[in-house]
Amino acid sequence: MSAGLLIRLDGPVTYALPVHALTVLAVLLGLTCTLVVASLMAGSYPLEATEVVMTLAGRAPSDMAQTVVWQFRFPRALAALAAGALLALSGATLQNVTRNPLADPSLVGVSQGAGLAVVAAMVAWPELPQAMRPVLAFGGALAVAALIQGIAMRRSGGATMRFILTGIGVAAFVSALTSAFLTYGQIDRALSALGWLAGSVHAAGWGEVAVLGGALLCLAPALVMASRPMAAMRMGPEMAVGLGLRVGRTRMALITLSVALAAAAVAMVGPIGFVGLVAPHLAHRLARCGVGLHLALSAATGALLVGAADLAGRLAFAPVQIPAGLVTALIGAPLFVWLLLRTQARASL
Amino acid sequence: MTAPSFRPVRRPGFAPLLALAALALAFAWHVSVGARTIPLPVVAEALLSYDASVFEHVVIVDLRLPRALLAAMVGAALAVSGALMQGVTRNPLADPGILGLLIGASFAVVLVVGVFDLAAPALIPLVAALGAVIAAMAVWGIAAAAPGGAMPLTLVLSGAAVTAFLAALVTIANLLDEQSFEQLRVWMTGSLAGAQGGVMLWALPWFGAGLVVAFAIARQVTALAMGEETATGLGLNVGRVKALALFAVVALTAATVAMAGPMGFVGLVVPHVVRLFAGQDYRQIMPWSALAGAGYLLVVDVAARMVLAPVEISTGLVTALLGAPIFVWLVRARL
Repeated sequence: MSAGLLIRLDGPVTYALPVHALTVLAVLLGLTCTLVVASLMAGSYPLEATEVVMTLAGRAPSDMAQTVVWQFRFPRALAALAAGALLALSGATLQNVTRNPLADPSLVGVSQGAGLAVVAAMVAWPELPQAMRPVLAFGGALAVAALIQGIAMRRSGGATMRFILTGIGVAAFVSALTSAFLTYGQIDRALSALGWLAGSVHAAGWGEVAVLGGALLCLAPALVMASRPMAAMRMGPEMAVGLGLRVGRTRMALITLSVALAAAAVAMVGPIGFVGLVAPHLAHRLARCGVGLHLALSAATGALLVGAADLAGRLAFAPVQIPAGLVTALIGAPLFVWLLLRTQARASL
Repeated sequence: MTAPSFRPVRRPGFAPLLALAALALAFAWHVSVGARTIPLPVVAEALLSYDASVFEHVVIVDLRLPRALLAAMVGAALAVSGALMQGVTRNPLADPGILGLLIGASFAVVLVVGVFDLAAPALIPLVAALGAVIAAMAVWGIAAAAPGGAMPLTLVLSGAAVTAFLAALVTIANLLDEQSFEQLRVWMTGSLAGAQGGVMLWALPWFGAGLVVAFAIARQVTALAMGEETATGLGLNVGRVKALALFAVVALTAATVAMAGPMGFVGLVVPHVVRLFAGQDYRQIMPWSALAGAGYLLVVDVAARMVLAPVEISTGLVTALLGAPIFVWLVRARL
């Protein structure tokens, strides 16, 4: 908050306007718009930038452009952005609550829990409407999160690193269970689940976009309300108690919120890994600011990241499409190592 | 299993004989169970006086016996390599799967078979060994460079990172080449079903060499497990023992990956169970781990074939389902 602009209103209120962070946010949003246009242009039927803009404005130069943009590329791009934002917000919340820089919904089993619930439903009741998926995913993710919390929290309070290790173990168990479901299920149903499990937005249409956008609109206000308790939680449980927070309850509420964010994304586009880890850290390095603005920056970074990953996966080996989840894993795993090299692991065990 | 004994000096009594008998029983059970249950007397008959005109004899010798042998070998190799890693790194969570060796070996195999199209059975164990060595070095290097050094936590986390990275690359390689993907998909979950005679034969020397080295350095590993300072004080050449242990672990891992694909958590679970009754002496732990590992994987493989029959679950999935809870328990109890 060093580069803040101090605003003095009449009376006792002053407000520090974080100019730098807001500038970064604006730049990120601009980049996101550029990315959307780029991903609308690229593909097996290439379009010019002017054509894309005209199609979006409702004056398509050709029927083909109209179909390609509105039916395929635009919903896909929007779904990638929304899923990225949701996962980034989930990761940022999880990191703030557990005070663990390595926390990520895909690493600690939350995404896998959501995945298991959805795969089980896809294999057992294939006629289940797609709109039910987020609910199921939320249930599965919440169950796994509660399990990990229950196991990791028994001993000596914080125990943030044990939380991660427990998550890795539970994630291995849950993904083995998911694979077993896939083996057991009939092959055609299993194949549709398999494509979804790689974390891909390639099949996303307006239905997915509606669910993802709805989740974002519902959960973002909750996050805004939660940003103050989150700031207190970030200072550690003792400090939070001192600030008058009910730590146990707040912790539960925030973790539930984080799980809901991840579950919505996973339910629609599958488990896209490491976004929840990478985006908050990038945001943190781009601008130092308060919790609320950091969340906004994380969301923008996550959206940009998944959008770019999807575009890269689509173009790198065209016509073969690499799911966005694999691209983010390739970016995210080295960053995880880098964080590991900088984190005082023993101190927080 | 045998009765627990806490005597500091163990005299070999009936326990090894009993264990061998139990292993033989598990082996026979594994052979007799299947799509068509073959009674045990027929199994014995097929082994003792083979008659090529009897259908059941052919099934046993051509299909069931290789698979049972494979399960026993893979189980023994993984358990011994897990015990070695736990002793040398003094890390209760060490396992070829968790520390990235299995995915390293698998990645190398996928790369060579899928991308460069070199499927010579003689080459596969060598390639797997190379991949395992590189992955092991990467995981260990990252953990050693992290603040706090190569302790259980950093080792597991760097193993998870390397695994995620290589797993993504493996999936991409598979997506780019759908045909080899079909062949490799079952293998990638750790399966004993697709064992080919050629690969098995070529993996045998690696298996044997790894096992011999592991047993030969068991005494030194016991000293090393007490801490490097203690081991040096006892006159041990720590660097040499570590190098030999790395060789044994890599050879055993490469043999299992070449034969059965990555099979997680066997090397974690078995040595911990063995320690409950065999104590902390690696001269006891190694042979017991080999026996128990072989028996464990035989029983697990029977379960994998029977639980959802006629559908067969990959054996690697069952070992993960059994092993992951034990991993979580170890995290809770030991860290």
